[in-house]
Amino acid sequence: MKRSVLTIMVLAFAFILNAQIVHHGFVRTYMGALTDQDGEYSVLQNTFDWKLDYGKGDVELFINPVFNYNALNNNLEVSLRQAYMDIYFDNFDLRIGKQQIIWGKADGVFITDVISPRDLSEFILPDFEEIRIGINAVKFDYYLGNSTLEAVWTPTFQPTIVPKKGSIWYQMQDFPMPIVYDYHSYDVGNKLSESEIALKYSYLGSAIDFELMAAYMWDDNPAMHIYSQPDTTLLIKPEYHRLPLVGASFSKAVGGAVVRGEGAYYFEKRFAVEDMAVNGVKEEDYAHYLVGYDHNWFGVNVSFQFIQEYIIGYEEDIRNDEFSNTMTFLISEDFLREALRVEFFTYYGINNEDALLRPRIVYDIADGFEFQLGANIFIGEEGNFGQYDKNDMMFIKLKYDF
Amino acid sequence: MKRFTIILIAVLTITTTLSAQGITGLKIIENVYNRPTGLDQEGDLTMSLINSRGDERIREIKQFLKDFGEMEKRIMFFVSPADVRNTSFMNWSYDKAGKGDDQWIYLPALKKVKRISSDSKSDYFMGSDFTYDDLGDRHPSSDTHKLLREETVEGEDCYVVESVPKEEEYMYSKTITWIIKDKWIGKKKEFYDEDEDLLKTLSVKGVDKIKDYMVITHSEMHNVQKDHTTKMELKNVKMDTGISDNKFTERMMKRGM
Repeated sequence: MKRSVLTIMVLAFAFILNAQIVHHGFVRTYMGALTDQDGEYSVLQNTFDWKLDYGKGDVELFINPVFNYNALNNNLEVSLRQAYMDIYFDNFDLRIGKQQIIWGKADGVFITDVISPRDLSEFILPDFEEIRIGINAVKFDYYLGNSTLEAVWTPTFQPTIVPKKGSIWYQMQDFPMPIVYDYHSYDVGNKLSESEIALKYSYLGSAIDFELMAAYMWDDNPAMHIYSQPDTTLLIKPEYHRLPLVGASFSKAVGGAVVRGEGAYYFEKRFAVEDMAVNGVKEEDYAHYLVGYDHNWFGVNVSFQFIQEYIIGYEEDIRNDEFSNTMTFLISEDFLREALRVEFFTYYGINNEDALLRPRIVYDIADGFEFQLGANIFIGEEGNFGQYDKNDMMFIKLKYDF
Repeated sequence: MKRFTIILIAVLTITTTLSAQGITGLKIIENVYNRPTGLDQEGDLTMSLINSRGDERIREIKQFLKDFGEMEKRIMFFVSPADVRNTSFMNWSYDKAGKGDDQWIYLPALKKVKRISSDSKSDYFMGSDFTYDDLGDRHPSSDTHKLLREETVEGEDCYVVESVPKEEEYMYSKTITWIIKDKWIGKKKEFYDEDEDLLKTLSVKGVDKIKDYMVITHSEMHNVQKDHTTKMELKNVKMDTGISDNKFTERMMKRGM
């Protein structure tokens, strides 16, 4: 019913404004097969991503319905990735509605980029445009020369979407006893007092680009509070908690290369601990930061990032490491007048010696008509990437932009 | 010996003639560099990429540029093909010799403006036969210039100037430019690779007078080694319309045209 209403609304929008509306988007077929499991299909997906723009004077409307047909379970999912209105003034803009908001200078890593939560149904493998969840928000931007002051008010909370039970990306949690879930404290109320607010000052100039941010958010992932029961089961109460943070990022040209940095300090983030006296959860301040380097050597783009997470006031019973170190590496080159791109991207988890390797080639059959062949290779036994060691996959994508 | 004498006399005659005019290769290139090009310009750029089989691909861009005194700012909004639609690119270049350009790109899928390495000047722009450096104004002090001769090309009297880069690692070993006398605008340019073999030829096919400025509106770059050609046409050109400084900002990169 909800799907039908959405489809009718989109078509009505398109029909009413058809005269001035601009249509664009893409259609894509995407097939992935697990290499360790006799080629069992992990993805069989057809997507129609439709973007509709309508502008009149200083007001613009944008709507982005997505029709996603999953052939593995014969399910058609219709969703609105974004649907918002822009109002432009001389020195400021307002964007109201469902929108993706991206902050920071990191690539493929989320440090100050905490406004739009993530859809991790397929881990971090989809394109980032598809991982970001549009949030209901009011965004205000005030411009002064090369500076921008941005304020975001998010009246309703949207958590991370995690893989469903049965998915190859579902993270099984080990407990020594049978468990029972209690979801009574799970939802964040739809109240003004539960809304999120974030502020950012950014500057773009010849010497440097930088951002300073502060936010009063919810942690998009729930803390698992654990209670021992008289019947020897464990009662688990997932609960979301407030997560205030401050952060900054910069990028600067240095001798033809670009050096980037980003860091955030999170106050009282919840961590899982062994200690049942605190119901398996402790609050500690936490820092997450990165340095990155991008260069182009004779047409080959190379990018490195080193990322560190640090739990301040670390105690031995915290399940995470005090320091978690990760590196990313990207190398890519275009051939055939940019019709062919060869790319290799990797995440390497230093603590667990695990990795995700992502080689791919992208070939433009014609303008806007693209073929991709690639692989996602997980290495290791544990850690963010090693846990999916059995999920190595090859994939092909055929995409037509219009 | 006789042959040597004839060549020597010819060289001396040319040198004497050119010296008499009191113009040097450097002065000619400086005149080209300093030719008035307006305070600002906007236009629709169409690039036709033609390969050796004659297959054609089209790229369309809306561009704005403005002179800010010691720097020039340029912003480009990609219109087609569909997969690069709403991508924008901004470049700030500086008169100060040795100061590299600042460049940013906005990719709509990533939804953020990203500073990019300006060391990629030898990269080809959008798969065309023009490198990023070919599209910019190269500072005269970057090369050593030598007036080779004077020649008439398609009815236009030209100076022929050889420019050898001072930077050893530069992508071209030299360029030779035919510059129309008195107009100080290029008519033709040859680019030589590291082995000093001819790599590309740029031909200026159309120059329009817009307001009081001479604007190249149609040019062709032919890669003679790979037999590629890129035709570049600039349409709907407007000069000195008073483009706002705010056009060249992160806000506009995200917002689009």
